[in-house]
Amino acid sequence: MHMWQATVQFCLLASAALPAAAASAWGFTDATVAVQPKGAGVNSGFKESLSVSKPLSKPVALAGADTLRVTLTTQEGSSAKRPHQAFLLLKDSHTGLDISYPFTVKENGKSRVELTQKDLPIQFLSLPEPIDARVVIGSSGSSEAYDSSIFPLSIERNPDVPVPTVDVERYGKLPEIHHIFKDAATSPPIVITLAFVALVGAALPLLAGLWLLLGANVNHLSTAFKSAPLPHAIFVGSLVAFEGIFFLYYTSWNLFQILPAAAAVGAVAFVSGSRALGEVQGRRLAGLR
Amino acid sequence: MRWYLALLVSAFAAAVNALSSSGSRLLVVLDDTTDKSAYSILWSDLEGRGYDLSFESPKSDKLSLFEHGERAYDHLLILPPKSKGLGPNLTPKNILDFMNQDGNIILALSGKASTSSAISSLLLEVDIHLSNDRSAVVIDHFNYDTISAAEKHDVLLLERPAPLRPDVKAFFDGEGVLALPHVAPQTLGSNSQLISPILRAPATAYAYNPKEEMPSPDDIEATGSQLNVVSAVQALNSARFVVLGSVEALEDQWFSGSVKAPNGKKVPTVNREFAKQLTGWAFKETGILKVGKIEHHLATDGEVAAEDMNPKIYRVKNETVFNIEISEYSYDKWVPFEVPAEDELQLEFTMLSPFHRLALKPTVRTETSAVYSTQFTTPDQHGIFSFRVDYKRPFLTNIEEKHEVTVRHFAHDEYPRSWAITGGWVWIAGLWSVIGGFLAFVVVWLYSAPVADKVKKTQ
Amino acid sequence: MPAKRHAASTASAPAPSTTSTLSSGPATLKTNSSVLDITSHVWQQYLANTAQRTLLLDAFMAFLVLVGGLQFVYCVLAGNYPFNAFLSGFSAAVGQFVLTASLRMQTSEPGSGSPSKPSSKGKNARFADEDTEEDTGISHERAFADYIFGSLILHFFCINFIN
Repeated sequence: MHMWQATVQFCLLASAALPAAAASAWGFTDATVAVQPKGAGVNSGFKESLSVSKPLSKPVALAGADTLRVTLTTQEGSSAKRPHQAFLLLKDSHTGLDISYPFTVKENGKSRVELTQKDLPIQFLSLPEPIDARVVIGSSGSSEAYDSSIFPLSIERNPDVPVPTVDVERYGKLPEIHHIFKDAATSPPIVITLAFVALVGAALPLLAGLWLLLGANVNHLSTAFKSAPLPHAIFVGSLVAFEGIFFLYYTSWNLFQILPAAAAVGAVAFVSGSRALGEVQGRRLAGLR
Repeated sequence: MRWYLALLVSAFAAAVNALSSSGSRLLVVLDDTTDKSAYSILWSDLEGRGYDLSFESPKSDKLSLFEHGERAYDHLLILPPKSKGLGPNLTPKNILDFMNQDGNIILALSGKASTSSAISSLLLEVDIHLSNDRSAVVIDHFNYDTISAAEKHDVLLLERPAPLRPDVKAFFDGEGVLALPHVAPQTLGSNSQLISPILRAPATAYAYNPKEEMPSPDDIEATGSQLNVVSAVQALNSARFVVLGSVEALEDQWFSGSVKAPNGKKVPTVNREFAKQLTGWAFKETGILKVGKIEHHLATDGEVAAEDMNPKIYRVKNETVFNIEISEYSYDKWVPFEVPAEDELQLEFTMLSPFHRLALKPTVRTETSAVYSTQFTTPDQHGIFSFRVDYKRPFLTNIEEKHEVTVRHFAHDEYPRSWAITGGWVWIAGLWSVIGGFLAFVVVWLYSAPVADKVKKTQ
Repeated sequence: MPAKRHAASTASAPAPSTTSTLSSGPATLKTNSSVLDITSHVWQQYLANTAQRTLLLDAFMAFLVLVGGLQFVYCVLAGNYPFNAFLSGFSAAVGQFVLTASLRMQTSEPGSGSPSKPSSKGKNARFADEDTEEDTGISHERAFADYIFGSLILHFFCINFIN
């Protein structure tokens, strides 16, 4: 209180030389806010008078094509007067956005401003909470300027109409991207695998049984070994060795390890094979096969 | 003689160290040398920070920003000329060329006289707009200095600006009140990422031409925080351009003066500190980022051997570690760069488009730098990828790092062996039973004697 | 088979021998026999007219069909991962079958109680003719050696591919 008095005194001092200045405050009177639906008469729709000191408790709704109209008479002290600045200031306290609409002020202080949703910046259209509508009246000189909230304004939009968005590019962090990997291939249930392994494994004894049923035998083994023991032993042995080399290749060896081994075993198999098969041919020609 | 010279050179190097990261030659363009005395504190502050100041009048014939095609100065401070325009040597094109060659500029405006069209068209080049009649002044009936502008309310009193956004580093913040007399307001184009406001007018401010009796509603183009008092442009080459709406804020009078807001106390201004922040930023004493070592390697538990560092080739699905060392220059030394709280330094692993974009987290801090790291798995896609760090933020110099590597497929011996995959057991069993059956068949074919009855029958 | 060999070596006419084997077979089919009758007749004919050595070979081929079929069913049921294992396991069975079939074509001969005259004019007849010229034709043993050579190569490729 003391401060305020000091300020007033100071202002009085400071503006003593200026004839027009008065150590008073700016304000307004006869203020109304009206929302006029499109195409309706001047006085239809919402209308409420405003107070200098206390904002309306309920938000004023501004729908699609409605026109919001605020009229008031600006006053310096208690006399109506035209100020330098008479704005309807819309301010969103969360985002800090603000925009002002100047009143059209006549010389006698009568002021009016009209706005529709089209006049609003599109950032205001998507705000979830009502905007704070303030009246700012100020002028040069020492009179205290007026800036106070007069009503909350809620922007009502047709939910079916998408809110226009502004795509302003600003440097900043971008959303993270994580590469989506292809799913790792999975093996089927082990039970199925083992069952089929057993089936495949059972095929070999089945073959043996079938052969026995058909009378397969190794009766010529003695005959063959009698006539050409070495070639037969080496030939069959080299075939087994070949498959053994393949098995080693499968489990541990690399190509350069098996190639010499395969070449050696192959040569042996070729030589012994021609002898052994010669013996077999002899048996065949002898009618034993 | 030689050591004496070496001492001299090292002394000079020490002096050079203690200032801007991009040179010390500062050209001040001011109308006539008599103006110079009004800013004596500013000049001595700048000289104290190591700048070599040259003063030229815009009308001077000697004034040239370039010498033999190279920049003749590192920085440029232009005070508003009283005459029209900046003369033939400071055309907008010359000034933009100066910026293109990494020169930094502070352009001060004043609301006292209307701004020349040359300056207006220069500002249009960087998408900063002045008011239509170029003579508007920002008025605020709520935040003005009651001592010096009790009647006209054209000396704005503003807090120093908070960070522009929560994720932007603050270079101009601090306590205290700034006095900004006769501000020529600027509005910023909305489509450029390069411009950022440094200081905005309060919501209740408006701009009007004081020569007119009353502002008419039609004349009011922008109000409140759309009006910028100080704006900044940082070009893609990180050259800086600052527009200061009120040149008088740099005068000695306001560096040491005291102001009083309506209903406020009488307080000293902090214009001097703000001028240091502003010139420091504009002339690259702050907000300079430097990339040190960049390392990437396979993730291992222990130390990475030197020959395994920064390999040219990775395999798909490799665990990879990426490190980048970043320092920030702060007035006279390199300090570890800290990313603002809500911001992130991001690494992109890119082939045409990013496959990964990951936040780099600080891991190691040295005296002069901070190392940011991340670990990720290379995508299951082979090709030529690149590690990219593209860090462009308001008020910080740009970082654009790109390091190409090859990502290859599995080699033939890097796949799991067939027996390790249970799903393949059936086929392995099938293969080996075929081989077993073959061996048995060979024996049977070679040594099976015909069955007796068959032989009898065929004979 | 020995009978045929003798016939071929003595260059006697094969006709009497074949007719005798035909007559020694099961009763001939009637024109209006049922499918079951036809099948069993064919089966009986096959058993009666195929040499025992060829039957053993056929048993091996049946084994290969079984193994290959099992692998294929498993692939259909449980998915084809790892696909290379499927390919090599399955193609080992198929390849071995193909090689064995070639061996059968080269070694089973019409002489050993084999079919009727018309069929001896088919492929078998060619082999029979070639068998008559021992030096230029492919002997059974030569065919068998080729078969082993081919099989070993097949096994090598399959093992290589199964990883």
